[in-house]
Amino acid sequence: MDMKVKGSKELLTEVIDAGLCTLCGACAGGCPYLVSYKGRAVLLDDCTLSEGQCYRYCPRTYTDMDAVSQQVFGMPYSGDELGAVKEIFLARSVDKEIHERGQDGGTVTALLSVALAEGIIEGVIETKMDDDKIPQGFVARSREELLECSGVSYEPSPVLEALNHLPRESTEKLGIVGLPCHVAAVAKMKTYPPQNRVNIDNVKLVVGLLCGWSLANGFHQFLQQNFDLPRVTKFDIPHHPGHTFDVYTKSDKESVELDEIRQYINNACSYCLDMTAEFADISIGSGRAKFKGWNTVIVRTDAGAELIKLAKAKHVLETQPTPVESVTNLKRAALNKKKRALNNIIAKTGDKNDLLYVGLREDILDNLLA
Amino acid sequence: MAGIDIDAPGTTELFIGNEAIARGALEAGIGFAAAYPGTPSTEIMESLASVAKKMNFYAEWSVNEKVAFETAAGASFAGIRAITAMKQNGVNVISDFLANLVVSGIGAGLVLVSCDDPSAISSSNEQDTRNIAKWLDIPLLEPGTFQEAKDMTKWAFDLAEELDTICMIRSVTRIAHARGNVTLGELPRKEHKAHFDEIASFTPTLTKFAPVLSAWKHQQLHAKLDKAQEIFEPSPFNWYRGPDKAELLIITCGSCWLYSLEAVNALKLESKVGILKLGTIWPLPQKLIEKHLSKSQKILVVEEIDPFLEGSIKELVADLPPASPHPTFYGKRSGHINAFGELNPDMVIEAIARIMDITYESRPAEYSKKAEEVPLTYMPPRLMTFCSGCPHRATFWAIKNALRLDGRDGFVTGDIGCYSMALGPAGFCQVRTMYCMGAGAGIASGLGKLGQFGFKQPVLAVCGDSTFFHATIPALINGIYNQSNFTLIILDNNATAMTGFQPHPGTGMTAMEEPTKVVSMDTLCASLGVPVEVCDPFDLKNTTETLLKAMSKDGIKVVIMRRECELVRARREKKPLYKVHVDPDKCLGEACGCDRLCTRVFGCLGLEWDKEAGKAKIDETVCAGCGVCADICPQGAIIKEAV
Amino acid sequence: MKMLTKDPLNLIIVGVGGQGNVMISSLIGRAFITEGYFVTIGETYGASQRGGSVMSHVRISKESQYSPLIPNGRADIILGMEPVETLRILQQFGNPDVITITNSKLVHAIGIEYPDLDDVVEAIKKLSAKLWLINATDEALKLGSAIFANTILIGALIGSGILPLDKESLDPILRESFPEEKLEANMLAFNKGMELVSRG
Repeated sequence: MDMKVKGSKELLTEVIDAGLCTLCGACAGGCPYLVSYKGRAVLLDDCTLSEGQCYRYCPRTYTDMDAVSQQVFGMPYSGDELGAVKEIFLARSVDKEIHERGQDGGTVTALLSVALAEGIIEGVIETKMDDDKIPQGFVARSREELLECSGVSYEPSPVLEALNHLPRESTEKLGIVGLPCHVAAVAKMKTYPPQNRVNIDNVKLVVGLLCGWSLANGFHQFLQQNFDLPRVTKFDIPHHPGHTFDVYTKSDKESVELDEIRQYINNACSYCLDMTAEFADISIGSGRAKFKGWNTVIVRTDAGAELIKLAKAKHVLETQPTPVESVTNLKRAALNKKKRALNNIIAKTGDKNDLLYVGLREDILDNLLA
Repeated sequence: MAGIDIDAPGTTELFIGNEAIARGALEAGIGFAAAYPGTPSTEIMESLASVAKKMNFYAEWSVNEKVAFETAAGASFAGIRAITAMKQNGVNVISDFLANLVVSGIGAGLVLVSCDDPSAISSSNEQDTRNIAKWLDIPLLEPGTFQEAKDMTKWAFDLAEELDTICMIRSVTRIAHARGNVTLGELPRKEHKAHFDEIASFTPTLTKFAPVLSAWKHQQLHAKLDKAQEIFEPSPFNWYRGPDKAELLIITCGSCWLYSLEAVNALKLESKVGILKLGTIWPLPQKLIEKHLSKSQKILVVEEIDPFLEGSIKELVADLPPASPHPTFYGKRSGHINAFGELNPDMVIEAIARIMDITYESRPAEYSKKAEEVPLTYMPPRLMTFCSGCPHRATFWAIKNALRLDGRDGFVTGDIGCYSMALGPAGFCQVRTMYCMGAGAGIASGLGKLGQFGFKQPVLAVCGDSTFFHATIPALINGIYNQSNFTLIILDNNATAMTGFQPHPGTGMTAMEEPTKVVSMDTLCASLGVPVEVCDPFDLKNTTETLLKAMSKDGIKVVIMRRECELVRARREKKPLYKVHVDPDKCLGEACGCDRLCTRVFGCLGLEWDKEAGKAKIDETVCAGCGVCADICPQGAIIKEAV
Repeated sequence: MKMLTKDPLNLIIVGVGGQGNVMISSLIGRAFITEGYFVTIGETYGASQRGGSVMSHVRISKESQYSPLIPNGRADIILGMEPVETLRILQQFGNPDVITITNSKLVHAIGIEYPDLDDVVEAIKKLSAKLWLINATDEALKLGSAIFANTILIGALIGSGILPLDKESLDPILRESFPEEKLEANMLAFNKGMELVSRG
């Protein structure tokens, strides 16, 4: 199946109104019509164009995985549980401040600050929470600004709106930090370079974050009603044995039962096959309970490997191998997400041949559906 | 150019009907005039106010028609001749006072001019206010020419005093806003002396000026109407033109007189068709009509909006002795004349031709064919829109964006003013209800109480500054008192813009151009204990954010959009706010992906799509230089520079 | 004194809201009143001013007052301030004898595809016994403001000789119509209009 590019009207009917939107921001900010606002992609006016970049780069419009993989990795999509992998290991920041302010091991912030310091990139498209803890796209251009972005928001973040907002004549070298949906959208941009937007070749580094789901559907109102958000410093969902959603303030920590939170899981995430941000240069997740304070790191590209090497050489990152058992668990979780999502999609369309946005080869599909 | 006060009896001037009416009031020696502007009535008061000081009388723009009428009645009660003028909707506003005033009678001559707007050209509805004269027993005159507009108005004051009741003049758009010959009469020079007690006693103890003993006074009112009828029978405002025996008798009044005359001439039926033109409309000159009914077996009644004459004449015929001839009536009930909309000579020609079974060709068929062959695409319809540089366009842009961003299906209840155009693409179709002055806030106040039935949509009520003072304040207070939920947006452009920039209580200027105390809507609203925000609508970002914030809160909130009407500003400052141009290097045209946001959606007349270049450009002859479009262009291609 | 070529003589002045229709019609009307004619003018007012189509029906007679609306197909002269509006009026009120004077400057409308001027002019030509196409707006801009296009068109109307009015009868009316500081430019505009039609 070829990718048929359509316009904002179809984006609305096929993705946003159909409950597939992950609010990645790929459609937003690149034109005067689509913007993100408090957890929604909003169409401000009717656009009559029959083809739009909003539709083209949406990670939930048809995505030819082979074409994208070919562009990013120089080979067709493998269908492996974790995608293209050069190495997997555990890492954490040596820098105490980064470690403390970041999630888990602070590896993301550590790597990006090295990349910034060494001039590999000049700006990082990141998620930053405003005072009300609404996540927004932001361009961090210094270590300080990076630190302002550290910490995880569990709400969807329109990170890519910040990319779309950059002036098209900009030559700034960029890194992007995003969830699998953001990373997929960036990969589509690389595969089909956008017009009238900032040159996608400026993006030198894509750091993906491992992701199970995000929280939407009134989750922000829940937070607003239960917490003094401007005072909140960090959210966390610690791994086993905890079953809580933790909200930190400077002096305090409050916990909510995870089961109470589950109702807010963004339904769109149930149709997502990608747990590990497979089209990133480096994907980073939690070390889980067993390696608390560490991150799991998957290096996928040469650019990713170079950066790790540099970070180690500069002594900002320490690493240790990931035990085989952990890798196995990670693979099982990733595979489960794929299978679950495919089944959810088929349940939604009622047609095994209508997989919405998923453009996978038949052999891979057969394996997943087996 | 000669004003309405030119002291040159016998000379002929070119006056619009409204000026002719105002001149008539001057010739009647009025001492007091009060009105609220409303198309097509506005120029009556406007021209009176412009000469009030010089002519030694008082004129005011009142906050609404009812208050205007009450102030005029006050003057009448104190022995001063007074006039009030309004559009048809204004008559609805005054009807409560009017229905009671007719019971009591008046002091000095008091005249009410009602200007109807057939086809609702500049109105929310079309409405035939002749009916109120019949309903409330008010003597009614309707001019058929510009000269009559003046002469009738002058006479109406004498009549009112003779009958001791208010007299009404009905005009329509094609008299009010058409121009024609008016030969001037004398201007009286008299000193006005006002005093209440002299004339106010009905008995030694009971005042005249209250509707007491109303049933008895109602009977007295009927006697006044009987007397009016006697006066009307020989009136020179009624006449017949045509043969002694006619194949068809047209009975008509008002603007339709000239249409009828023209139709008969166009059909060359002067020897076969007679026209009875009536100027005294209520009570009907019964004997005069009965006399002319015998002229023909076929009667065509030509009048605008309702079958008022038609129905009333049929009532007369029903009372005629059985032996009298009962002619066949043609008109609105037979379908020969539309019972809606404005008439014109062609419609009357068509009605006569149909009754007389003749054909009429307005021009050679060959030419008509050629004319009809012109492709419609050569004559695209021209939608009304806000003027270039109008703050309302910016306001509704911000409202649209705020409502979409808010995402709870919020909507706007509208009101009467230029901003009513936001029903259409001019204001991005944001206004979802629009009825009458003040209704926007009233409807919002009701909607805002529907929470218990699951209503969660934010409601934005918009009203203009003049409308706010006219009728919005009670609805706002109602909403506060009853704990409703809505945001009142006052579009404060510092003028009653729609009708031609008349001052109002917020402007600090009176109708007679004297500075006065500014009634501050900000302070007034704040004193009611509700949050009040003031925005400059040209600051789209702040305006949108302010609206979003207001919508996020429960209760009544007031947001004032403060930016002077561009036409007023331009008239005073005589230069644009900014010099605006499109940088052709930055505008990417069709390749941009903006889908012509500026010309297609924003739609300011100052922007045009340059077909050849495939880019937007500024039409300098139209652009007012507000610079708002510079903020909506995603490429920053529209450049505004300080002048 | 020159006579009316027809009684009543029906002139339609047409344009786009805000262009200044009422100014032209009342100026012409007053000139005729001064000369002792009956004049009736019907105009579009009010909300329709804002960028909509506007027209003034001017009816001149030695005999009597006529209605403020000209019957279909009965215009004798059309003075257009905008070509599309001129064509629209011709289609309804034109006839084989109608004389047309029109500004050639298109005034764009919101949200629609605007036709090509050449097509519009061609259609106007087909429906007019005689046509003067005048670039009044460009000429006005040379005098400093597009608003002078109105006076240029008045000059053209008088210069065309189709009305029993001449420059002398207009002169006092022009003088009382414009403020001191605008008078000279308007007089130049008037002369420009006369000159433009005299060339053909």
